[in-house]
Amino acid sequence: MTISNPFLIHTQENVIVKNPDDKSWVFEVGENGNLWVDFLQTTDDLNVFVSLQAEEAKCKINCAYLINKNNMLNIDIKVLHKYKNTTSEQHIKGIATDESSVSFKGIVEIPKDSQKCDGRQHHRGVVLSPKAKIEAVPQLEIWADDVVCSHGSAIGPLDANQLFYLQTRGLPEHEAKKILLNSFLGDLMPEEFSDIIQGWMDKNV
Amino acid sequence: MTALLEIKNLHAKVGDKEILKGLNLTIDAGEVCAIMGPNGCGKSTLSAVISGHPAYTVTEGEILFKGEDLLKMTPDERANKGVFLAFQHPIELPGVGLAQFLKTALNAKRKANGEEPIDAVAFMKYMNVRATALGISNEMLKRPVNVGFSGGEKKRLETFQMAMLEPDFCILDEMDSGLDVDALKIVGQGVSVMREPKRSFMIITHHDDLLQYVKPDKVSIMRDGVIVKTAGSELVKEVEESGYDNF
Repeated sequence: MTISNPFLIHTQENVIVKNPDDKSWVFEVGENGNLWVDFLQTTDDLNVFVSLQAEEAKCKINCAYLINKNNMLNIDIKVLHKYKNTTSEQHIKGIATDESSVSFKGIVEIPKDSQKCDGRQHHRGVVLSPKAKIEAVPQLEIWADDVVCSHGSAIGPLDANQLFYLQTRGLPEHEAKKILLNSFLGDLMPEEFSDIIQGWMDKNV
Repeated sequence: MTALLEIKNLHAKVGDKEILKGLNLTIDAGEVCAIMGPNGCGKSTLSAVISGHPAYTVTEGEILFKGEDLLKMTPDERANKGVFLAFQHPIELPGVGLAQFLKTALNAKRKANGEEPIDAVAFMKYMNVRATALGISNEMLKRPVNVGFSGGEKKRLETFQMAMLEPDFCILDEMDSGLDVDALKIVGQGVSVMREPKRSFMIITHHDDLLQYVKPDKVSIMRDGVIVKTAGSELVKEVEESGYDNF
């Protein structure tokens, strides 16, 4: 059996994990707790809710999506800084080709009493074909006034000049694209997923 | 001598703007040809069109390389036939290590020519000889392509890539712009040692800096999208003394 949407929990200290169905995850991070989890989505939707329940709780959520054909993918990630002095990071990167579409919704919520929180959320998407579509709605819901937050989203095709440069060095277009896409994903995903990622690239790029 | 590159009545445009307007040029095997001209005359467009940049459309004319129709080939096919473009502004490739990139490029060329991939040990030797000659350190080889390098280092790295890929036809697009004397000397010498009977160069420039190190066999003056005069290297001096207005 191949796992189409693998995940890897790197760090799980004082975390309660609930996985009501194979698309949904709830993580409750307790005092001094630490969560680091990677998701790779190629077919199924993903719905993640992280609640940083107590002081010094922190989390890192990495997610990559690779989508093709006329597939549609919804990725919803919400981090609730329920308590003060909590820290969150979300890194989401993805590639959409053919006529696929992706909708990414990321929420960082910091209620009024959750001072001194640090919440970050970054999304980047590459569209490989004119009919592929990526929509990103990054949302910060900040009610506390003494917090550090950043978010950003960038979506676009591969850089035409980089592609041309690689081709002038003798690399066929699909190879050049793969090199750029691998560098785009960088080390966001763990070594364990590289066969799946390379397999996807070989078929779709 | 036999012609390596023959350009006949070349017209090319970017968007709706025609930049090359019926350009003719022949470069023989082993020849070093300097293309000189004022800013905006179409020199860089010429190099982009020869190497197949998708932003330019050829509307008329032909380019033959080793007798074959270059315009029918993709940029990588042109590269693997032996065309190399050293960029005026080398492109940064974050996350792509130089050594690994060059190995991939070298193997792409070998594959296109029906050869086996180079083995790791042979590649290291091949690379180290060329890196040493151009003062490229091990640390530079591990860094991402062109990222965080100075202008002079980037031009040195372009020369290094050229030495690695051993092309038959080298286009140097404004290689000497923004180079200090030391960097110019290294690049100039790097180019000079690559001169050989089957390898040709097209050196695009608007002054004589690089040409002091690499003496051209012929010089073509370009103005407004065409070659207006071709003569020997004495033309360089004429340009330096009285500019382009006389042509």
